[in-house]
Amino acid sequence: MARRNALAMTGGNRERAGGVPRDSSGQSADIEFAGVTKRFGEVVAVDDVSLSVERGAFYTFLGPSGCGKTTSLRLIAGFEQPDQGDVRIGGASVVGIPPYKRPVNMVFQHYALFPHLTVADNIGYGLRQRAPRPTNSEITGQVGEMLELVRLSGFETRRVWELSGGQQQRVALARALINHPTVLLLDEPLAALDRKLRREMQIELQTLQREVGITFVLVTHDQEEALSMSDTICIMRDGRIVQTGGPKELYDEPVNGYVADFVGKSNFFAGKVVEATGTGAAVELEGGRVLSGRRPKNGETLAPGARGVIAVRPELVHVTPTAGPTASQTDVEAPGRVKNRIFLGEHTEYLVGTQELGDILALVPKHVEASDGGFTPGDEVRIGWRTSAALSLAER
Amino acid sequence: MSYKNNGDTPISAKKFMEELRRYQKGSVSRRHFLGVTGLGLATAAMAKAMPELAGIGKAHAAANIGDRVSIATWPNYYDPANYEAFTTATGADVQISVFGSNEEMLAKLQAGGTGWDVFVPTNYTISTYVELDLIQPLDLSRLANFDEKHYIKRFIEPGTVNGKVYAVPKNWGTTGFVLNRKKVKTDPTTWKAFWDLTKTDASGRVIVHDYQLTTIGNALKYFGYSFNSVDPKELADAEKLLLEAKPHLFAITSDYQPAMRANDAWMSIAWTGDGLQLHRDIPEIDYVLGKEGGELWSDFYAIPKEAPHVDAAYAFIDYLIDPKINAREVAAHGYPVPDNRTTALLPKEMTEDPIMYPAQELLDALEFGAAVTLTDPLRAEVMARFKAA
Amino acid sequence: MTAAKVAGKNGNRVTAMLLLPTTLWFLLLLVMPLVVILVFSLGERAPAGGYQAALTLEQYANLPARLKAFTNTLTLSPLGTLICMVIAYPLAYYLAIKAGRRAKALLLTLVIVPFWTSFLIRTYAWIYILGGRGIPRLLEMIGIEDLRLINTPTAVLIGIVYGYLPLMVFPIYVSLEKLDKGLLEASSDLGANPVRTFLQVTLPLSAPGLITGSLLVFILLMGEYLIPAILGGGKVFFVGNALVDLFLQSRNWPFGSAVAVALVVIMLVAIALYLSLAGRERGRQDVSII
Ligand SMILES: Nc1ncnc2c1ncn2[C@@H]1O[C@H](COP(=O)(O)OP(=O)(O)O)[C@@H](O)[C@H]1O
Ligand SMILES: [Mg+2]
Repeated sequence: MARRNALAMTGGNRERAGGVPRDSSGQSADIEFAGVTKRFGEVVAVDDVSLSVERGAFYTFLGPSGCGKTTSLRLIAGFEQPDQGDVRIGGASVVGIPPYKRPVNMVFQHYALFPHLTVADNIGYGLRQRAPRPTNSEITGQVGEMLELVRLSGFETRRVWELSGGQQQRVALARALINHPTVLLLDEPLAALDRKLRREMQIELQTLQREVGITFVLVTHDQEEALSMSDTICIMRDGRIVQTGGPKELYDEPVNGYVADFVGKSNFFAGKVVEATGTGAAVELEGGRVLSGRRPKNGETLAPGARGVIAVRPELVHVTPTAGPTASQTDVEAPGRVKNRIFLGEHTEYLVGTQELGDILALVPKHVEASDGGFTPGDEVRIGWRTSAALSLAER
Repeated sequence: MSYKNNGDTPISAKKFMEELRRYQKGSVSRRHFLGVTGLGLATAAMAKAMPELAGIGKAHAAANIGDRVSIATWPNYYDPANYEAFTTATGADVQISVFGSNEEMLAKLQAGGTGWDVFVPTNYTISTYVELDLIQPLDLSRLANFDEKHYIKRFIEPGTVNGKVYAVPKNWGTTGFVLNRKKVKTDPTTWKAFWDLTKTDASGRVIVHDYQLTTIGNALKYFGYSFNSVDPKELADAEKLLLEAKPHLFAITSDYQPAMRANDAWMSIAWTGDGLQLHRDIPEIDYVLGKEGGELWSDFYAIPKEAPHVDAAYAFIDYLIDPKINAREVAAHGYPVPDNRTTALLPKEMTEDPIMYPAQELLDALEFGAAVTLTDPLRAEVMARFKAA
Repeated sequence: MTAAKVAGKNGNRVTAMLLLPTTLWFLLLLVMPLVVILVFSLGERAPAGGYQAALTLEQYANLPARLKAFTNTLTLSPLGTLICMVIAYPLAYYLAIKAGRRAKALLLTLVIVPFWTSFLIRTYAWIYILGGRGIPRLLEMIGIEDLRLINTPTAVLIGIVYGYLPLMVFPIYVSLEKLDKGLLEASSDLGANPVRTFLQVTLPLSAPGLITGSLLVFILLMGEYLIPAILGGGKVFFVGNALVDLFLQSRNWPFGSAVAVALVVIMLVAIALYLSLAGRERGRQDVSII
């Protein structure tokens, strides 16, 4: 309640002198890239990228290290200028406008807190740059509210290097948010935190975003983080966008093997495409077995003779005892032996070695485990799935 | 020879100054010339083959004088080829220490352990060395080449203290001033004119030595006082003149050649050798002796009390005062010698040079510096106040 | 508890023993000469020069005789330090923040290279540059006549800046090099223009280097004598020159000691003043000084 008030009270002036005014028309995109390319010498860090971030969205750039996520973020912040294309914030082009005139703020990967300033002075830094400069009591007031928002009240006079990682993280957030940016940019904000804290902060960030209601653009290489927090995820590879969509869409309908691999876990069976239609494809594996799967929505088209992969999510793989009756709900099956078993609480993860299909990962829900008693390494089992559960994808 | 400044710079500094001066005076190129053309080698080889010809008496060539002789002298004050020839002939390596001021040389000897066999004190310091028991009387029978009757008496005298001979003359010189005739339009012939010009037409273009003996001495001359005065009233007058002149000075330094050559300075208190060299290279620079008088000085060869190689010391001194060798020394350093036999061997250009051999009436007015002149605390303090003003 | 105490005591003893040589050196090299000088300064000059035991403040009463040396030193040293600071900062800034890797290596080498030759030779070279055949002759070509540079306070300042600039550049360079460039971006991101970023982030965070550099230069300048001797032609007189004269020429050790003591006192006061000012300037920041 108090937290919500803090922002309601201080909301308002989002404009900066000479900067980009927040667009108040019906335009619903906060950030747009139109054919943006950024090169560093030979390296093309961002390659002809076009995208649009909805106002108020939690938008995430996801991809392996070096794929151009940070560069994309820095293009928005103004630390980099595009070599080609246009970057727009609130509908207006910001090409050539320096960072200090842009209505966005950034939470840096290593926070970049000012070591020579106290927590309060760090947070109030942005306010002190304004013209006209707010009075000291105004600044103190707003800093206090921000500290409350990030639950650090009473830390005003602390040194930033006295704080724990999570606390520093929150100071960095407060320091950015106090300026009421139209967009908050976060570059791997949780990478430096330990696992438990990271989970907490993920939730906290989501809550915060809902409360302040502004656009968040997050950069991460952690798919779990991306899936759990984002409205929209933009998966990048080598400076290009591979797929953009909601977490569920990316999970269920990956456009290719790269996305399927990056978002969640999958069992992949690679081979030569022997048959391809608009709705699915069949792939012949090394050993001669042919597997088929459906084509995901917007999936890259497969041509017979080319390489392709069949992907099956572990939770869609069934594990049954060899002795028992054939599982009726599967139409692809193979015998195997349990190699490994990991208890995950809600699920149990099995690694099953098979002759024909190699090692296969299966995720068995707790209630199923309870009914058949589960398996132990060395047990002979049968694995299987339904063809409808399998996806036919371009290999990479 | 009373030389150079307060000895304030570290040894590397001095070394550098010497090198630079040597270069300015042309002796580096000369030495280089000797080395490159092989003439130096030829001289040395000749000395070995025909010691007589090279002027080395049989006595020293034959006697075993040890493997080294160490000398403390002044910058650019000898002919390296002569030293090399001595080494070739006797096998004694000549080790050279070069000094900036008499005070330094004295301080070093006082501290002890120098290892010097020969040193080159200036006339007014010899009695002090005797007093401090740092110098040994000379056995003239071991200096075959020293024959009083060929020497100008005036320049022998300072070497004798309490009836004992402690030092034999090396060369002598005067302290006058150099002036650039193209820049100074009048014709100063006195120290009075020197100081008056300093305060007027030559303002900002005059150098005085960073050496109280000459600077205060020649300021005293302005009033007609003795160069050697230690009278507080007379020194007060001199100090007043110096303080008046100070704003008009270009520099207080004993390293005045570069500034004269660069036309930065137009006048400077100067010693004979520098006057000669400047005049030789830049004809409009003249060397003038003040009519009122001023300093006459003489440098000597002497042997420290603690000299480790006395035999070598005698051999070396005797070698150096051999007229033939000595004439070559003069050719190198450009100072007159009080030995008529040597002078007779010098080329006419030298003996007729008014800078090297000034007119007799000018010489008559000059005084030797006195021992007390150098050590007087009041003079030292006047100089220090003048510099710090 | 007792055991821990004993261990602690032993630890202390070991520490003390390890520190002993250092402490002795410190006493020997720093404190002893100071004590000697202090004792000398209360004595009298022996008739033949040197020191003669006495207990008098006469030497201190005589200090005004060297007033000019003190005023010269106390104006030209801070001024030289300031000029070094003003010139060194942009250079260090460029080196640490703007220069590419190759330019940086080149410039750093250029800053270091002069150290390969003797300081004296380098300073001596300035005699020629500032003398009649150097800059003044060039200026004559463009119609500026009769400008005298050599043997003026200006020449001494030029020598000072030339000689001491690297000592100022390096500490500043190091502190700027250590500076997290992300902080500059953060400042810009938070709305500060480059000037404000410089004043609010770069400058305060490089203050340690600035303070180290200026203290280094200032302390060394207070004792300088070579540059005034060479480029001041004996006319721009520092306390250092007065000391050289007093100890080596007039051999007035007691007065020389009094001058030295006065110099040390003035220097300590100046440093204390500067540090407290610098500390206040940097407000509550406790970035350590070195
Ligand atoms: N300032 C730069 N200079 C040169 N290359 C850079 C620079 N910034 C990024 N790159 C290169 O651009 C590519 C993308 O980098 P980045 O955007 O940081 O990737 P990510 O954040 O996804 O790890 C990488 O190959 C990286 O090496
Ligand atoms: Mg990155």
